[in-house]
Amino acid sequence: MKKISLNVNGKDHILEVEEDMRLIDLLREKLGLTGVKEGCSEGECGACTVIMDGEVVNSCLVMAFQAEGSSILTIEGLGDEENIHPIQQAFIDVGAVQCGYCTPGMILAAKALLDKNPNPTEEEIREAISGNLCRCTGYNKIVQAIDRAKEVLR
Amino acid sequence: MEAYKAKSIDEVIRLLSQFEGKGKVIAGGTDLIIDIRNKKVKPEALIDISSIDELKTIEDLGSFIRIGAAATFTDLVESSLLDENLYGLKKAAREVGSPQIRNRGTIGGNIANGSPAADSVPPLLCLDSTLILRSIKGEREISLRDYYEKGFKIGEDEIISAIQFKKPEGRQILSFAKLGLRKALAISRLSIATLLEIGGDNRIKTIRIASGSLGRHPLREYKVEEFLIGKDFNEEVINEAVLVLKEAMEERLKGRATLPYKQRAVERVFKDAIYGGLERLKVVEA
Repeated sequence: MKKISLNVNGKDHILEVEEDMRLIDLLREKLGLTGVKEGCSEGECGACTVIMDGEVVNSCLVMAFQAEGSSILTIEGLGDEENIHPIQQAFIDVGAVQCGYCTPGMILAAKALLDKNPNPTEEEIREAISGNLCRCTGYNKIVQAIDRAKEVLR
Repeated sequence: MEAYKAKSIDEVIRLLSQFEGKGKVIAGGTDLIIDIRNKKVKPEALIDISSIDELKTIEDLGSFIRIGAAATFTDLVESSLLDENLYGLKKAAREVGSPQIRNRGTIGGNIANGSPAADSVPPLLCLDSTLILRSIKGEREISLRDYYEKGFKIGEDEIISAIQFKKPEGRQILSFAKLGLRKALAISRLSIATLLEIGGDNRIKTIRIASGSLGRHPLREYKVEEFLIGKDFNEEVINEAVLVLKEAMEERLKGRATLPYKQRAVERVFKDAIYGGLERLKVVEA
């Protein structure tokens, strides 16, 4: 076991982790943040996307001990029913959520994009979510939702 | 398994020595974590280098550029040192994986893992890059070409600390083109990098060509280089060079089911690299 400290959704944690534990396991199992989804487990689908020190990463491809000292944002830290984030609201308004499995990763990919580039083109939006697979909606509604969120956030 | 989050190169090489070949360096982890989970790799210790600043810098050393081995593809994409004549390296970095993969995957990992499809390697081969290795015994350099072509090994107690190359001179332009099956996350089916310079007399003054996924590892296409050097640059000569390249592929990939496909596809990818580079040169010189 290894002791690590990190900040998740604005809260500091000191945790004992197994050496072979991945960040996704830490978030889901130690902290109960089940909005982090496990899909392919090899960095293809992006369902496990979180924002680590301002950048999107696949939490299935980061070891928990590597996250020592970092700040992590998951979908739970972005907003909830009472305090919904404009990107989440835009996904609901446009109908960009179907089964919902890719949604947390998609929204965080959108968040990381809009934090760096508040006025992205459609091509830039598509590039930003290129590491996130959706098997339901066909992406157009997701792109529309991010485009709408950018107007609200500006 | 033990796990260490190293803070300096010295700490890494001390740990590598201590574990006598049973320690494994982890940076982005985008390949290694999958191998560990599939039990293909069973290290006694994982040594994380992803937050060692001295391994992440991209430095301008005058006539050379030195890229720390733990620089991520995103670091490469965002580096102003890789614009202009070095744009082929940036282009290769930009086409790796997805934003998530580029944020974690590193240039050193791309080399150390030895994938035949490593996108960043063909441009580095065109630049005649040198690998800088560190161990407790000290520092040594090997050429990237020898690493691939002569099978020079990185010792179990060594770490790639940086990749270094000479900046292109004059009107030399580095270019890159790739064929993947889809836009993002595609493993290269085929990639070509070129370093080209056309002299005032329209003759090919410099030509280096490297390919990815056309052999067991990325490699330089010497036969095509020999064919092109000194020739007048025109469409006919480029078409003939494609034939030379196809012949070289035939020798290497004979019997592979993908050969006919790759031989058809290579023409476009090669021409994209050559002519895309010349287009870029116009922008650089404008």
